Amino acid sequence: MIPVTHFMIISAILFCIGLYAAISKRNAIMVLIGIEFMINAAILNFVAFGAYDKEVNGGQIVALFAIVLAAAGVAVALAIILNVYKYYKTIDPDKIHNLRD
Amino acid sequence: MRVEQIIFYALAAMVLGSALLVVTIRNLVRSIFLFFVALISLSGLYIFASADFIAIAQIVIYVGGVLVLMLFAFLLSNKELLNNLSRPVNRLINISSLPGFLLASAFLFVLISAILNTEISWLGYVQQNHFQPGDNTVHNIGISIMTRYLLPFEAVSMFLMMALIGAAHLARKGQKI
Amino acid sequence: MPLISFVWVSTLAKRGSGISILSILCSLILSAIVFTRVWNGQPQHFQVHWFSVGSYHLTAGILLNNLSAGMILLVSGVAFIVHLYSIQYMRSDPYLRRYWRYLSLFCFSMMALVVVDNLLVLYMFWELVGFTSYLLIGFWYKRDYAVQAAKKAFIFNRIGDLGFLAGIMILLNQFGTLNITELFGDGGAISNAMIEDGVWISGTHQMPAVWLTLAGGAFFFGAIAKSAQFPLHAWLPDAMAGPTSVSSLIHAATMVAAGIFLIARIYPIFDQNILMLMVITGSITSFMAATIALVQNDLKQILAFSTISQLGFMMLAMGIGAYDAALFHLTTHAFFKCLLFLCAGAVIHQLEYFKQAAKIEFDCQDIRNMGGLKNYMPITFTAMLFASMALAGLPFTSGYLSKDSILLYSFDWASSQTGLMSLVPYLAVLTSLATTFYIARLIFKVFFGSFRQKQRIPVLEPPSIMKVSLMLLVLFCVFPMFSWNPFSVENSWILKGFSADVQVLSQSRLLHILVPLLVTFVSFALIYLASIVYSKRDGDGSVTQVARDSFIYELFYHQWFINKLYNVIFVIPLMYLSRVSSILDNKIVDGLVNGAGRSVLFLGALSTFVDRYIIDGIVNLLGSISKSIGNVTRHFQSGRVQHYMITMILLLLTFFIFKYFS
Repeated sequence: MIPVTHFMIISAILFCIGLYAAISKRNAIMVLIGIEFMINAAILNFVAFGAYDKEVNGGQIVALFAIVLAAAGVAVALAIILNVYKYYKTIDPDKIHNLRD
Repeated sequence: MRVEQIIFYALAAMVLGSALLVVTIRNLVRSIFLFFVALISLSGLYIFASADFIAIAQIVIYVGGVLVLMLFAFLLSNKELLNNLSRPVNRLINISSLPGFLLASAFLFVLISAILNTEISWLGYVQQNHFQPGDNTVHNIGISIMTRYLLPFEAVSMFLMMALIGAAHLARKGQKI
Repeated sequence: MPLISFVWVSTLAKRGSGISILSILCSLILSAIVFTRVWNGQPQHFQVHWFSVGSYHLTAGILLNNLSAGMILLVSGVAFIVHLYSIQYMRSDPYLRRYWRYLSLFCFSMMALVVVDNLLVLYMFWELVGFTSYLLIGFWYKRDYAVQAAKKAFIFNRIGDLGFLAGIMILLNQFGTLNITELFGDGGAISNAMIEDGVWISGTHQMPAVWLTLAGGAFFFGAIAKSAQFPLHAWLPDAMAGPTSVSSLIHAATMVAAGIFLIARIYPIFDQNILMLMVITGSITSFMAATIALVQNDLKQILAFSTISQLGFMMLAMGIGAYDAALFHLTTHAFFKCLLFLCAGAVIHQLEYFKQAAKIEFDCQDIRNMGGLKNYMPITFTAMLFASMALAGLPFTSGYLSKDSILLYSFDWASSQTGLMSLVPYLAVLTSLATTFYIARLIFKVFFGSFRQKQRIPVLEPPSIMKVSLMLLVLFCVFPMFSWNPFSVENSWILKGFSADVQVLSQSRLLHILVPLLVTFVSFALIYLASIVYSKRDGDGSVTQVARDSFIYELFYHQWFINKLYNVIFVIPLMYLSRVSSILDNKIVDGLVNGAGRSVLFLGALSTFVDRYIIDGIVNLLGSISKSIGNVTRHFQSGRVQHYMITMILLLLTFFIFKYFS
């Protein structure tokens, strides 16, 4: 039996990789991928603890919902990226700074 | 060391390795495909947590849906990205990504130390309701979704529909946002 | 009697003339059925629970006894004939549909008024009747005087309604019920209530005895407004502005009868004082209206005043306790007055045609412009003659029976009175004779002599439908419809129906014979006199010229100056009051307002100063401070998403570090 701690360490590493990608990448799609990594790290934690919940399957169902929502988020985010590309002719988040004062 | 443990650590290594490659490789197409390798091996990890249904859902949704979407988005926002393909691969850490790297490492340090300081078995239920390898989880999950989690399930389906409609609306051609 | 509800529905649903006639015929037949079933039988009573207020449960229902059955037959009968007549009379009117609608609504509310068993519901229909009469009087709303007349009628009716409402409130407070049977029936609340030591006791509840008088007075006040009695009669002559058929229906047969009906329905409540008041009002009204009618020249005005006079008779009869005679007179009067109006309508209608055809201008309602019409319109003449005879109370007519019964009762009553009150029957006789005279004058002026217009084409007889309705009414003007014995009132079946036991009149048999004989004789003499005076072409010249200058004539001609009196008493002070208040408004209130305005202006100037130099200074200072802060902080706003994310994560990290490592 794999201990929960191992799952948690793996998920923590995955989360930090995603964080790095989301922060430092110069491409919106890569930022999106980083965010997906973070979400998956969270899901991994849910699933790992869901193994101890035989009665109501709370962790697994939250994981399921999270997967679904992440997919929906990806769809919307990609649509936004496409629009941004059409508008700015770039998807580098650094070059999109209209919000700046 | 038993076979399942070997497989588990192999899968974990695959997940972490491909994730690292994703963030380091400059070739975007490759990084996208590596992203899916990472996700598929992650679904293998789910199986080790007795969540076979979640693993299947992960593969179906991510590989079937998100992969296709990302590839399309990539192909549609093509010009500049394709130009990027030809660029030489840089170092892992360049100047611009230094703050991100430092931040991520600090965060990792905090998380790992927090996890190692936690005594998981201190939680009472962790010792009791563990799934046995032969348990039929899909049956259980189906019943739970249709009874206990019916409202969240419906809400999620509504949300999914909204997201799809919104995405379709945003991606519509010939319209300035 | 579930069919009775159908009567209502059908009357309500009426629209066009055909449907209207049909449904009124329906209701006539139904009410005839009702009549035959209820007449002299057990009173029938149906009710349903309507709503509850607190502990008080209001029921609405139908009470059918002899009184209401007779009334509903009367109303529907007269209404039917008037409907029939209206087909022809209103044929060329552009607003025919509206006319039928109003007429139907009126008939509905009148019939409902007659049969309901609850005072509150009665009051509702009472209002509805007043309102529809307002609509009908003002039917030709483009004519100014019609609108004025409608308004006047409505206001007068409202004044009366106030009395009715007050009476209802008193009764509700005292007895806790408004059900007519419970209140006024045998062994009902009123008869059980008694007066002891000036306290009016009913069950557990008690009030000072004066409230009984007040309640009776209030109801009586409502009734005199509706029935156009002395102080409140002025609306009725003006109400002639409506179509003649409406005048006939409302002001002869039904609406004005509602007041009498109300009194009859709640008769037990009236105590001695109110009855005396009734007698006085009735006799004054009847005498006054008869004298006014003597000198009027407008055909419809004469008839209107004659109506008022006859209603005064009924009120008089009510007052002296001749409840049955009053209702009998109400019935007969409804028919012959309706007939009179319809004949007058026919005359006016035909003269209008004549006027258009001959292209001459004259007032079609002025009897001075008529004359000799009996040669042109013999059937109308015959009908009118019968009706006039009934009105005058000549033998062999229905009017003879009812009017003489009232006279006899009043003589009977007067014998037990003293002083001024014993003059009442003589006044009544005088009124009756005056009635004879003015109606004879009307007949002679309109139908005898020679036509007073240069004529090139003849005046035509009215169309057949009108004639039929006239003839129908003539039937009801002669005695056999009411009593087989043309000289004996007691044999009349209606009279028997209305009161359980006909009082044996004739304390003095001699009086009983003498009075009608005398009245009849003098009537004939008066008719002869009138024929001498008026049937000649320029009969007005010699005899009446003398009278015309006198004060009495003036008094009568101007309707006893009642309208002027109202003008002086109410209208002019009101105008004056409004003028005073307008001056008050202009000088004082406006001055105040202006002063207030000026002070506000000053305050405004002051506050502008404060605002500009003090408050603005502070605000500007604050603004510049925040501006400089913003200038410092704006550099953090790079507009780059990832910078925000970095900041966020850093904060989170700091939080974690402080949480776990300290």
